[in-house]
Amino acid sequence: MRTNHLSLLAALLLGPALASCVTVKPQQRAVLADPIMQFEGDPQSAAQLRHAIDNREGSYGGGGVSGGGCGCN
Amino acid sequence: MGPCVLAVSLFASAPARAQVAVLDTAHTFYHEAPTRTNMTVYTPGVDLAVTPAPWVTIRGGYEADIVSGASVSVKAGRAYQAVNPGADVISTASVNDVRHAPRGGIVLRKGDVAYTAQYTYGTEHDYKSHSIFVSAKTEAYEHDTQFELSYARNFDLVCDRTQAVNDRPPRFRALEDSKACFGTSDPLRTRHTLSIDGLQAAWTQAWTPELATQLAYTAQLIEGFQSSPYRSVILAQGLKAQEHHPENRARQSVAIRLNYYIRPIKVAVRIGARVYRDTWDITSGTGDIEVEKYLFEGFRVAARGRYYKQTGASFWSDDYTGGDPPLGPKGQYWTGDRELSPFSSIGLGLRLTYGIQPAKGRLLGLMTGLKLGAAADAIQFSYDEYTLGGVPITNARAYVLGANVSASF
Repeated sequence: MRTNHLSLLAALLLGPALASCVTVKPQQRAVLADPIMQFEGDPQSAAQLRHAIDNREGSYGGGGVSGGGCGCN
Repeated sequence: MGPCVLAVSLFASAPARAQVAVLDTAHTFYHEAPTRTNMTVYTPGVDLAVTPAPWVTIRGGYEADIVSGASVSVKAGRAYQAVNPGADVISTASVNDVRHAPRGGIVLRKGDVAYTAQYTYGTEHDYKSHSIFVSAKTEAYEHDTQFELSYARNFDLVCDRTQAVNDRPPRFRALEDSKACFGTSDPLRTRHTLSIDGLQAAWTQAWTPELATQLAYTAQLIEGFQSSPYRSVILAQGLKAQEHHPENRARQSVAIRLNYYIRPIKVAVRIGARVYRDTWDITSGTGDIEVEKYLFEGFRVAARGRYYKQTGASFWSDDYTGGDPPLGPKGQYWTGDRELSPFSSIGLGLRLTYGIQPAKGRLLGLMTGLKLGAAADAIQFSYDEYTLGGVPITNARAYVLGANVSASF
């Protein structure tokens, strides 16, 4: 279990560091900036479905956050 | 920039160009009618966000849950039913309540950092809640990376029946109704506290012009009264007791999402996976996929599917009176909550979104943008152990309809 926790911690720390090696130029962000590339599709619709499901499962919450990785919002 | 304006909703962290206010309204209709019970919930909501200056957004809103139906008030399993064959040991009670939840908040921005604070007050006949939420979000590496850290705290009060001084939990009686719960000094009513602390950290990353991912970790600590005060469980022959859950619960989850745009067919694919574990011994896994495509300019159609599976709580039993494992007593706690039993669910849905963004001028002379959304989902629940007096729940199917409108001014 301890090894699993350490692996997770390492991934969380190393992941963002690796991200610095990647650059999507502003002129390449047309697709990422489009509403179709939001993580929740339509955040309002996702929130509505989540609100309904949360009351029917024993492990609700924590599915992610809204927004995207394009720097457009 | 054009399509990005539509992406800015109430919860976005930066304003679009000439946009000063965003008005959102959402309406959700939920219905399910499994064996001997039914539940219908209508949830209307409205939010207004105003951005008087680029560095600040002020928002306020209101949401309600209008609930009606019938739920299980006395739970027993097949072992008890077997020795009481002539009796209908399961009883249900009608449920009618309205939850009101006004909310307000502010977003402050400085450079690439946005700070959010929000307060929500929730009230219903038998429950009151004060909730605060704060978050900080920042961007790095040419805006390709986003980090968000958020914290939420609930201060809640739950109504319950006053129990006899010398009684212990196996003798506790369930709350009969929600009358006189708050604002009165009825000696037959008492209030329990419930506090919830939640922490979430999320990392969002754009890897290529078509690929972005998100990793989120969530932790939550819950302390206080977590049972349903209305539900009783039959523990032994002639012994019926109010549901009794542990007062402490620690929960953790890790979720990863991947968002990929397939250029040749112009389709966006979203794939998500989530694992969850808590100190009540519930472990769950969720997988979901959504594909979305523009049918014509501004009009998107999406199809989505979701699979969920969880184990039961350590103190879950379908019958505490006896029987072969997994039936039988499970220590000092007992529950009749099917959400704490082992089960799985499959959901399928369709979503339509239409966004209008005039290149010049304003819609109806007022709006800089308008978005209309509609969705329909069906969810089939499959309970491994949960029964009502030994009768399996085979038709637990829920339907969720949603509609929303967002107007920018």
